[in-house]
Amino acid sequence: MSGSDFLALSPLIALALTPLAVMVSIMIRRSHWAAAAAAIAGLVVSLVLLGAAANAAPRQVTPLIVVDAYSLFYTGLIAAATLAVVLLSYGYLELQTINREELYILLTAAAFGSAVLASSSHYASFFLGLEILSVPLYGLIAFLAARKRPVEAGLKYLVLAGASSSFLLFGMALIYFDLGAMSFGEIAARLGGASFALVVPGSVLILAGIGFKLAVVPFHLWTPDVYEGAPAPVTAFVATVSKGGMLALLLRYFYSSESRGLSPVMIVIAIIAIASMVTGNFLALLQDNVKRILAYSSIAHLGYMLVAFLAGGSEGAAAATFYVTAYFVTTLGAFGCVTVLSTRERDADRLEDYRGLFWRRPALAAVFSAMLLSLAGLPLTAGFIGKFYVVAAGAAASIWALIIILVVTSAIGLFYYLRVLFVMYERREPEAPEFAVLPAAGGGALAVLAVLLIWLGINPGPLVEMIRAAVAALI
Amino acid sequence: MPWMFYLAGAVAVAATIMTITRLNAIHALLYFVVSLLAAAVVFYTLGAPFIAALEVIIYAGAIMVLFIFVVMMLNVGERAVAMERSWLPGGIWVGPAVLAAVLFAQVVYLVMRGPGPEYPRTVVGPKQVGLALYGPYLMGVELASMLLLAGLVAAYHLGWRRQPEQESKETHFDERRTAVGRSAVRAGTDRPAGAP
Repeated sequence: MSGSDFLALSPLIALALTPLAVMVSIMIRRSHWAAAAAAIAGLVVSLVLLGAAANAAPRQVTPLIVVDAYSLFYTGLIAAATLAVVLLSYGYLELQTINREELYILLTAAAFGSAVLASSSHYASFFLGLEILSVPLYGLIAFLAARKRPVEAGLKYLVLAGASSSFLLFGMALIYFDLGAMSFGEIAARLGGASFALVVPGSVLILAGIGFKLAVVPFHLWTPDVYEGAPAPVTAFVATVSKGGMLALLLRYFYSSESRGLSPVMIVIAIIAIASMVTGNFLALLQDNVKRILAYSSIAHLGYMLVAFLAGGSEGAAAATFYVTAYFVTTLGAFGCVTVLSTRERDADRLEDYRGLFWRRPALAAVFSAMLLSLAGLPLTAGFIGKFYVVAAGAAASIWALIIILVVTSAIGLFYYLRVLFVMYERREPEAPEFAVLPAAGGGALAVLAVLLIWLGINPGPLVEMIRAAVAALI
Repeated sequence: MPWMFYLAGAVAVAATIMTITRLNAIHALLYFVVSLLAAAVVFYTLGAPFIAALEVIIYAGAIMVLFIFVVMMLNVGERAVAMERSWLPGGIWVGPAVLAAVLFAQVVYLVMRGPGPEYPRTVVGPKQVGLALYGPYLMGVELASMLLLAGLVAAYHLGWRRQPEQESKETHFDERRTAVGRSAVRAGTDRPAGAP
């Protein structure tokens, strides 16, 4: 590997060194503050190095990793989201008495795995990145091991993630058996025109592995339980970084291996998208738990992203990427509000915890309202622009059935977001709410997210330009 | 020689089914060792004797034997002897032994016969494996090291027990926690009855 290879890899190397830096800080002295600071420093360095790497891009570093504008965009998104999760976790963990510092090792290691997924161009790095993302998540979901729910959620995730990985590996093996290639580019070259018996079944099996991580129907069964059981900042991480890396890979794999030409596979994805939009929105109506509502809503949102993916072309990829960015900001904000309201004993996940929130915590209630409205896709928020972009890309590709289902199910989705909103603005006698002050780090992160949300909703132009340039590397 | 492959594959499937259906951890582990040995024979029939040897040395040899030792050594003392006796009653070794004997017969046959007419087609030796790992797949080796680190930290955190002196200091919290834990049955009974 040459000097420019290392330069191109530098954001990834910084991300890989971050968990080690946190470990060294724990080794010197176990201090929550120092561990969080080490994690933040590592993530910031990685974000800064993106600029340097952009000069060396595009570059294929060994057959496994490709560094181009697209992978750098997603790496930046993942690092920034992890930074927000670290800030949110800090105040949340201050209340706990267990060993807290390990959370930052696991968070940054999982973020590295997600970034590897976004940069992979080969089955080997695809699988290893997926596992580097999954294995820390088992520990993160069950992090508060003294509680019962997190351990149960962690176990569920462990068993289902293991099963889905085996599907994925079997799919890769089938395709390798037929084509004799594992890098996406070579697969595209060998697929060219000829038909192979095992490529379609293999692609569907790979799709099962991808679908599990994205939590799309019918691979969504773990989602509500894991969202409910995991500590709130970890839930934010599972909902954003883990899905974002996988979506980046989905786009890259299907665009660069020419698998978009396999029409049976695309039909399967269309069915998955429809099932996710319908199931996610309808089941969210039946929930009383805020974390579960957000879990089902995330299933629906991934369905919308698949619509953008199905639209295809550069506009489809750009719409999906924009939607991911808006979804990151919104979901981090929503789970951030849950996080800062959580107490030592339990997370603030009951609808009851939000009753009359506006009269006790007007600023926080305003931020949460903005996040919910963005999830619902109302104007002036990032969520609206995202949905608009998806519909526009879909209309250009004339996939009308999917567009109509998207619009109808979003209208249904409005109802459960409004339900949470009404509860927040209900006037109620404050029964001695003994609230601690908002944690400074988490509060700051929430404020930044809220500003970003509105800014993206009003002035999406610069981001759209950036995303168009990034996805140009894909096609 | 495809039937050698299918025989070893059948042994692997049978041993794995026995592994996941055993209620006793020791019995399951014994079958799991056989399952890994069968996978090694599968590799051998496919022309990868080096990977087969690694599978035996690392998985069936080191890791699984370590598992069995740890499970057995976690219980020491008088009661443990009785417990181990109950784990390993007379006939339990027969199943894994029969499956292992099938694999042994296969290996003996393959070694006696020498290289066959069509199987193995190409033999992948240690040199090729090393060149692949430290050539194009160098990043893969590095990524695997990150994976092991993450797994180690996660296992360490979940397996960590608080120190006795800390425990006494924070007993009241623990009591409250376990009380909540017991009543919080999965069916959702811990939610307030009047929640909307």
